[in-house]
Amino acid sequence: MRALGRAVLGLLGWTGAVALLAGRCGARLGGLNGAELVRSLVSFGARSLGLAAGAGALIGATVVLQAGVYANQFGARLYTGWAAGYALLWEFGPLLLGLLMAARIGARNAAELALLTIHGQLEGLRGISLDPYRLLIAPRVVAGVLSVLALSQATFLVAVGFEALAALAMLGLPLRVFLGAFAEMLHLGDVIAGLTKSLAFGLAIALVSTVAGLRVEGGARGVGRAAASAVLVSCATIFGLDFLLTPLLAKVLS
Amino acid sequence: MIPLLGGQFLLLGRLAQALRWERPSWKAVLQQVVELGLGSLGLVATGMAFFGMVIVTIAWAQARKYTGNITVVGPAYLELIIREFAPLLSGLLAASRQAAAQSAELGAMAVNEQVEALELSAADPLVELVAPRFFASLVALPALTIVGAMTSVAAASATVSLAFGADGASFANTRFVGPMDVACAGVKAVLMGAYIPLAAAYRGLGARGGAAAVGEAVTDGVVEACFGCLSIDFMVAAAFLPFT
Repeated sequence: MRALGRAVLGLLGWTGAVALLAGRCGARLGGLNGAELVRSLVSFGARSLGLAAGAGALIGATVVLQAGVYANQFGARLYTGWAAGYALLWEFGPLLLGLLMAARIGARNAAELALLTIHGQLEGLRGISLDPYRLLIAPRVVAGVLSVLALSQATFLVAVGFEALAALAMLGLPLRVFLGAFAEMLHLGDVIAGLTKSLAFGLAIALVSTVAGLRVEGGARGVGRAAASAVLVSCATIFGLDFLLTPLLAKVLS
Repeated sequence: MIPLLGGQFLLLGRLAQALRWERPSWKAVLQQVVELGLGSLGLVATGMAFFGMVIVTIAWAQARKYTGNITVVGPAYLELIIREFAPLLSGLLAASRQAAAQSAELGAMAVNEQVEALELSAADPLVELVAPRFFASLVALPALTIVGAMTSVAAASATVSLAFGADGASFANTRFVGPMDVACAGVKAVLMGAYIPLAAAYRGLGARGGAAAVGEAVTDGVVEACFGCLSIDFMVAAAFLPFT
């Protein structure tokens, strides 16, 4: 009972903090600090490109591996292109990449903000009447969202490429046939669904990790704990959002 | 690939070396099993329940478009859940929670010189700190995978019965699930269970400096644990391909 109460209170606390942060950042979207935005885009986005590409390659090859088993069982090899692309766009791709980005961007953002907080640098900015949200926090949130969105698309392209190659190598399906089936059966709605999901996951990761970073308490132990809780809460939020968005998008787009 | 394997494998080797002289106490291992298992249980169970509902929604959409019946698609999806999704996603969820917590904990101990203090009192940090986490994870991750598979299948069947008004039991039909599927999932879970604490300990114990180093250690530890799980998933799936 007590654990349940604590979980509910924790959930309410996180929701409130995230909403507050979203409002504060939204109000400052006009006057973002360009230098911090670019720096964060490089740190979150460009530096994660290798990880995203590697994940895309693994995801693509795994999806074909699993889809190919059924293709062989049911004798519907053409179906592979569509089924693999469909599962990838809708579910597997955004979810797996979201989890990886929660680890990479979320933990990094939370750790950096936690460091700034425990060293009193955010207070210092306020002390000389500068707005830490405009200078530091809002640009990082925006950069986080943009990075996740862009990396999802990059991952998707890499994954489709590897799917095509894996289908050629393991199932002997020519590239043209695979990509043709893929292009023919996939609709714009599926692409929009994938984009919407990665946008939502990006927002969740950026906001949750920022809240976790700003809530830090204590020294080195606190920084570690902030980064760890950023990853944990982002992952839980991503699964929850996935659950809410999938039926909703299916209804809206069909 | 090299940063993903080099340090962690060396750590495994050093752990094996250290364990020849000294064993961690059963109590410490048991404590870690409880901590890991109970700590990740909520995340894995709710996450996989959500995932089960989502995947069955997708299966339902596919079934309506092409075959017209969930009973045709259902058993194939069940096999896919058991062989692929349950080990991978339970592993990733547990990895993100466990690796973050462990690298934060070990990183803080390393920068606060608590690890050196252990060494000075003639205790091997590998035996005292890493070994209990390693053995506990070997037990906890397969258990969590079973929980994840069960909650996702239960949630999926419940969704079929309650939301779509079809027979939920038709989804949870084990027609296609063979011993090789279960073996594949088991191998994945054990390997991931071994890799996650090594990735976390490698980065955590390697943290040098102040609070910034702990942040770095957590980021790298979690990312490498997650990516390692993805790689293990792919390699085991490829190794089991001839048996499906």
